[in-house]
Amino acid sequence: MLTFIGLGLYDERSVTVEGREALADADRAFAEFYTSHLVGATVEELEAYHDIDIEVRDRAGVEQDPGAILDAAEDEHVAFLTAGDTMISTTHVDLRLRAEDRGIETRLIHGVTAQSAASGLTGLQNYRFGKAVTLPFPYVHGGDPVPKSVVDSLEANRELGLHTLVYLDIKVDWEGRRGVEVDGDQYMTADYAAELFAEHWDGDALGVAVCRAGSPDPVVAADRLSALAERDFGDPLHMLIIPGEVHHVEADALSALGGAPEELFDEH
Amino acid sequence: MGNPLGKNTTLLTLLPVDPCIMGRRKKIVQECEKLMDKPEQIRNIAIAAHVDHGKTTLSDNLLAGAGMISDETAGQQLAMDTKEDEQERGITIDAANVSMTHEWEGENHLINLIDTPGHVDFGGDVTRAMRAVDGALVVVDAVEGAMPQTETVLRQALREGVKPALFINKVDRLINELQEGPEEMQKRLVDVISDVNELIRGMTEEKDYDWTVSVEDGTVAFGSALYKWGVSMPSMEETGISFGDIMELERGGDRQELHERTPLSDVVLDMVAEHFPNPLDAQPRRIPTVWRGDSESDLARQMREVDDDGEVVFMATDISMDPHAGEIATGRLFSGTIRKGQELYVSGTAGKNRVQSVGVFMGGEREELDRGVPAGNIAAVTGLRDAIAGSTVSSVEMTPFESIEHISEPVITKSVEAERMDDLPKLIQTLQQVAKEDPTIRIEINEDTGEHLISGQGELHLEVITQRIRDNQGIPVRTGEPIVVYREQVQGESHEVEGVSPNRHNKFYITAEPLSQDIVDSIKLGEISMDMPELERREALQEAGMDKDTSQNVEHIHGTNILIDDTKGIQHLNETMELVIEGLEEALDDGPLAAEPVQGTLLRLHDARLHEDTIHRGPAQVIPATRDAVHRSLIAGQVKLLEPIQNVRIDVASEYMGSASGEIQGRRGRVDDMYQEGDLMVIEGIAPVEEMIGFSSDIRSATEGRASWNTENAGFRVLSDNLQREKIMEIRERKGMKLELSQAIDYI
Ligand SMILES: Nc1nc2c(ncn2[C@@H]2O[C@H](COP(=O)(O)OP(=O)(O)OP(=O)(O)O)[C@@H](O)[C@H]2O)c(=O)[nH]1
Ligand SMILES: [Mg+2]
Repeated sequence: MLTFIGLGLYDERSVTVEGREALADADRAFAEFYTSHLVGATVEELEAYHDIDIEVRDRAGVEQDPGAILDAAEDEHVAFLTAGDTMISTTHVDLRLRAEDRGIETRLIHGVTAQSAASGLTGLQNYRFGKAVTLPFPYVHGGDPVPKSVVDSLEANRELGLHTLVYLDIKVDWEGRRGVEVDGDQYMTADYAAELFAEHWDGDALGVAVCRAGSPDPVVAADRLSALAERDFGDPLHMLIIPGEVHHVEADALSALGGAPEELFDEH
Repeated sequence: MGNPLGKNTTLLTLLPVDPCIMGRRKKIVQECEKLMDKPEQIRNIAIAAHVDHGKTTLSDNLLAGAGMISDETAGQQLAMDTKEDEQERGITIDAANVSMTHEWEGENHLINLIDTPGHVDFGGDVTRAMRAVDGALVVVDAVEGAMPQTETVLRQALREGVKPALFINKVDRLINELQEGPEEMQKRLVDVISDVNELIRGMTEEKDYDWTVSVEDGTVAFGSALYKWGVSMPSMEETGISFGDIMELERGGDRQELHERTPLSDVVLDMVAEHFPNPLDAQPRRIPTVWRGDSESDLARQMREVDDDGEVVFMATDISMDPHAGEIATGRLFSGTIRKGQELYVSGTAGKNRVQSVGVFMGGEREELDRGVPAGNIAAVTGLRDAIAGSTVSSVEMTPFESIEHISEPVITKSVEAERMDDLPKLIQTLQQVAKEDPTIRIEINEDTGEHLISGQGELHLEVITQRIRDNQGIPVRTGEPIVVYREQVQGESHEVEGVSPNRHNKFYITAEPLSQDIVDSIKLGEISMDMPELERREALQEAGMDKDTSQNVEHIHGTNILIDDTKGIQHLNETMELVIEGLEEALDDGPLAAEPVQGTLLRLHDARLHEDTIHRGPAQVIPATRDAVHRSLIAGQVKLLEPIQNVRIDVASEYMGSASGEIQGRRGRVDDMYQEGDLMVIEGIAPVEEMIGFSSDIRSATEGRASWNTENAGFRVLSDNLQREKIMEIRERKGMKLELSQAIDYI
């Protein structure tokens, strides 16, 4: 049995009760933190809280070499953990399919995901989000600083009046590319992302930074991208939203909850 | 090769201090300076030939004729072979520059000359020298006739649009050693000329000019560089000397009189002044063949017109190290005036370099000129720290010159290791310098093991470099046994294979097939590259035999391999292509058999499936997926191991013919031709480079020293089937790879 458990947004307590119980029930637990990361808890804290050893797998250990996880799940109850929700903004459906292929029973326990926080913290209506994108660090791909596909999605969304949630790249245990070295783990900040968009797309457009969602001190800041680029939002994780057409209640929320300057909405 | 490690022993330090020459020299420098501004009166030439045919001895004559060295020592001094190892080995290793003046038809001329090495291992120097000059004086030994390197240097010259003239040397030997009569001798000379012309004709078929040489035109001269006499048709008319006179004087040992009556230097320098183009004639023809920039631009005009007021456009053809001045970049100035203090762009690097000094070579010694050096000359420049042999250096950013491709790739490798730990950084620095100066060398630095690899053109090439590291840099090094370099290449068209990314959300569909030899050669010569405008590349590819559709979809060229993008309208593929290429390059650099470089393969990307989001089609996904797909397509195309081979020519007395040809056959070689030439037999064939290691002493003992032999690298050939597995495992073991091959490799 393989149970996918989303750990939620922030620390060891962000998991659902159902998730916690499923984990308590498991014989073994594996986790990956390269797609996202709980910034409020270390692996040791998670282990202590849930009273179970957690084997953290790197990308190769999940994607290329999932044998150990699947072998264990053949005859034991195995939990596979990620931050957020295990199936949102990940490719773990592949792991689930491999397990199903081998006749292993699988189960999903949802976790709170960034998408939900993005909509919840900002007051932007979830009905009005279009396709989400990830903004990668430019050194990762060596192409345009803001990849064309990102701009294309963003503009297609705006054409329809829809908001775009921009996930910001994290690099944990970067496997590297020829000639590119990265020191330690890196998390793209909202101001850095705003700067990339301001420089390579449109600095006057409205942006909303959503920082440390799920933590005790989340920050929401709405302003022109060029203005957001000048700010410092503190510790990770961050996201950025680029709103499309802003409904009047949404505008009120962005002003009240994100300190958006009034004149930004006069145009709308 | 430049003078990477050499002490730049200069001509003057070798000379007995002769106040008369010192004084004369100063006058010559002044004279040269005056002529530099008059392109009509400049000739830039190279002397090129098969090894030992007498290039350096001839250069000596010209220097003496110009009053730069004393007449008595010329011919024995070999003033241009300044390095210790050159003198010890009796061959030229580094191309050497010298400027001199010569009066012809009442006008003084500035002659910038480059003496090139003849040994095949140093052929890269000849290739590069040809970029700097407009005329090539090809020397042929009358006894040996046109030899393999004669053909090679002619090809190098003609490819660069450099005009040839012929000097047939060592005629004294025909008269004295071979005791030939006038008829035999004449026949021999005519044969040499027609052989050379046949080569020239074959290489200029598509050109609209006739560059064959002839006695009547005065583009052929003969003589003896050792005894310092020479004749040409015009000179014989002028001096009234006849063939009969020459034979008589030679036989009688009156060579001094012969020299005085018809001095070699006058005859040859007259020929140079009369028949070689000056920069004003040459540059309009040469620029389009070596530069792909906009021919309508001001820059193009300035180069055509040799405009000394124009932008500075300089091509570095040689980098050498001087213990005092540092790195010296020598090359051709096509436009502008290069001066101390200028800030110049160096192609392929960011930022600018500041010119520290500018000068010319006088009898091998650099003479700094504060006034600068104007367009049309060969200049020696210091301060260009980013320049390598082949860099374009200019005062405006510009399309760089075509890279100077030496067709023969390195085929033999040796490991070098510093004996003392302390020398490690110095050794690495030295190796990097070597690579900068000699593009026909490949260096692989391995800081982890300290065991670096030098790959070069042949045993001698590597031996000279390692000796220079020891003797000149004073770094004691341990070197490994020479090993040859291998290649991997597909033998047929593969079926379509699928490469899947680790997260299985991305897929690539690829096939592999061999490229035609024509296309491979054109890539090696730089006639097809990603640097050129797309349209031109397409045309060049079609000309080399690629079909039109394929030529339009070229996405990348790596080594002699081409990636074709045959996909249509796949979303996001554009921004993923960089990573696809990276995976492809990794796969091609380390082939699937023995991690040797893949060559001559066309890879076609037929289709791809990509994840919607950038993050899930990042490097960690795309690189392994394409690397894997490329390897599997190569295996599906039955990739095999190739080894380097050499053309071998042996000239041997007929009684030793059997043992000599046995030496080729016994080395997995093949004898292609045997024929009589004079009283010798010539054996021609091919053999693997690996087996040719140690050939020198074996052939000597097999023929009791009665054979002379030449080899020339001739590319790579598929290793015979029964040796494939054994050789692959041997390489894998040496590289510490695992000793089993992928299951799919069932055909080896
Ligand atoms: N008899 C005779 N010997 C000559 C003549 N010219 C050169 N030699 C000899 O041929 C040998 C080679 O001469 P070099 O001038 O070093 O030949 P090279 O072409 O510069 O040789 P590399 O630069 O090593 O290719 C020397 O021993 C010369 O003395 C000549 O006209 N007659
Ligand atoms: Mg020489």
